[in-house]
Amino acid sequence: MKLYLQISFGLLIIGGLLVGCNKPAGESESPSTGKPRVALVMKSLANEFFLTMENGAKAHQQAHANDYDLLANGIKDELDVSRQIDLVEQMIAQKVSAIVIAPADSKALVPVCKKAQEAGIVVVNIDNKFDEAVLTASGVKFPFVGPDNRKGAKAVGDFLARKLKAGDKVLIVEGAPNAFNGIQRKLGFEDAMKAAGVNIVSSQSGYWETDKANQLVAAVATEHPDLKAVLCANDSMALGAVAALRAAGKLESVLVVGFDNIAAAQQLVKEGKLFATADQHGDQLAVFGIEYALEMLKTKATPADRETPVDLVTAESLSAK
Amino acid sequence: MTAPPSEWRRLVADYLGLVGALVALIVVFSLATNHFFSPATFRTIANQIPAALLVATGMTFILVAGEIDLSVGSVLGLCGAVVGVALVKWQWPLWAALVASVLVGAACGWFNGAVSLRWRLPSFIVTLGMMEMARGAAHAVTKSQTQYIGAPIEGIAATNFMGFSLPFLIAFIVAIAAQVVLSHGVFGRHLLAVGANQQAAQFSGINPKRVKLTVFILAGMLVALAAVIDTSRFQSANPNAGSGFELQAIAAAVIGGTSLLGGRGSVIRTCIGVLIIAVLNSGLAAVGAKEEIKRLVTGAVIVAAVIADYYRHRLGKGRTT
Repeated sequence: MKLYLQISFGLLIIGGLLVGCNKPAGESESPSTGKPRVALVMKSLANEFFLTMENGAKAHQQAHANDYDLLANGIKDELDVSRQIDLVEQMIAQKVSAIVIAPADSKALVPVCKKAQEAGIVVVNIDNKFDEAVLTASGVKFPFVGPDNRKGAKAVGDFLARKLKAGDKVLIVEGAPNAFNGIQRKLGFEDAMKAAGVNIVSSQSGYWETDKANQLVAAVATEHPDLKAVLCANDSMALGAVAALRAAGKLESVLVVGFDNIAAAQQLVKEGKLFATADQHGDQLAVFGIEYALEMLKTKATPADRETPVDLVTAESLSAK
Repeated sequence: MTAPPSEWRRLVADYLGLVGALVALIVVFSLATNHFFSPATFRTIANQIPAALLVATGMTFILVAGEIDLSVGSVLGLCGAVVGVALVKWQWPLWAALVASVLVGAACGWFNGAVSLRWRLPSFIVTLGMMEMARGAAHAVTKSQTQYIGAPIEGIAATNFMGFSLPFLIAFIVAIAAQVVLSHGVFGRHLLAVGANQQAAQFSGINPKRVKLTVFILAGMLVALAAVIDTSRFQSANPNAGSGFELQAIAAAVIGGTSLLGGRGSVIRTCIGVLIIAVLNSGLAAVGAKEEIKRLVTGAVIVAAVIADYYRHRLGKGRTT
């Protein structure tokens, strides 16, 4: 296992070097035009959601090519925290004007972002909010621009609750246990279910993955034959839940909700197999952060956090479009 | 086949531990829950394991040959992605998409085998490289978006014969055929010989390279078949599908007493290994165990199984199959 780790690490470093070499040498210096250079440091680009976010940012930059330059980077998977720290350090070394970051870990990334701020770089936090306690302890503040996952999940849960009665049994399929947004969504689901007096018989992690969620839902649906609904913290897991219920012949009697509004989930919503999901406008999230960073560069002020919208997606809302 | 009494005794000794462990797990979970011991649970498990059975069968062959394949999870993702994109974006007929997927799986297996044999590289390293390449390719063809397929692929998983799904029957037949080849076929004998002592095998007129290359290609095709089955089950293709699957397949083979050093292994015992993992997953989810407990227990069962195998192996004085 150690060898495995060492080798993967080695490959990562080689990969990093290759990526570094691809950049023309002149680009590391500020261009003569004096345009601000904004670094977007993303989480896993293997995740459809973050890719949408990055593509949104690239489209925005192309539309505003005279206002700023964009350097977008992501990590291989969401748990690769050290690689993301390295990325921020590279951005500091490149003397960018601003860093817009979706931290892979809400605590571990604080020190390096503090270093960036001390180097005179504007830091804006998107997607996954930095831990308040750690921020206070290290005496820094970064504005957060992003959705309230808890509120969004509660909206999905409330919509589902209209179809449920007090005492009905539901299952929550959580995201990875250490992911802040996953925890927030779980709390939001719980808020809604408690308000409706619904009985949460089980709440377990599907690690954001289709097949893990599938196994989990199949087992719990058997254990609780009178299950009425499954609330999934993302849409990939909702796909797994729908498959499990279809195989068990329970798709008619158990409602499924998700989160993220990926294209595949939209299809399921249209077909009536998925009751609802939430759209946090992934393509706009990074853009909001970038606009905020540009504003901060102009005004030199540190503005407050800004909440971005989360919308409920249902069969009705899709047919209304 | 009529076996002499001594061979029956050996068979009992061989399978008693594993089957005993499986039965013990089922008993524990049946006592701990209300509905675990029910036809629904076993139907659910039969519905979930075909892909794992196929991949673990291929992995057993590779391990017996004294090689390893870390790329199976990524190749599964890639083959599923090919099915998804072929059906959704290119509008191919189902058969063409399936053929393409199997060809891609075979090509990945061929690459693994050919590169590691031609340059005498450890398959650990080559397949680690393939693990990255196949995942990258899966994201490239899908543009990192989960492909929703829906009805066109539903038929494969939904077809039933006498209460058994088509995927289950396919996996069952493949596993039995593989076991017959391994323990009674010429190819199986060559494979065991190559895995036990490559030089000795070569001196006795076996071409080890051809045997190993065949095994890699075969395993790649089985992975593709598994990908088709999972894609049909989820009616969608997620480019992240199968992450971590390689470790699950290796664990199943090792629980079943396959040697990581080659020359020893049995497909049927690997299948029991797959069942043990499936029952464990399903049971822990039905109980509603905490995430950390799930991982602790699963890991402990793997280690315990390997220790048990050490004693079985010592008692059986190093039998080959």
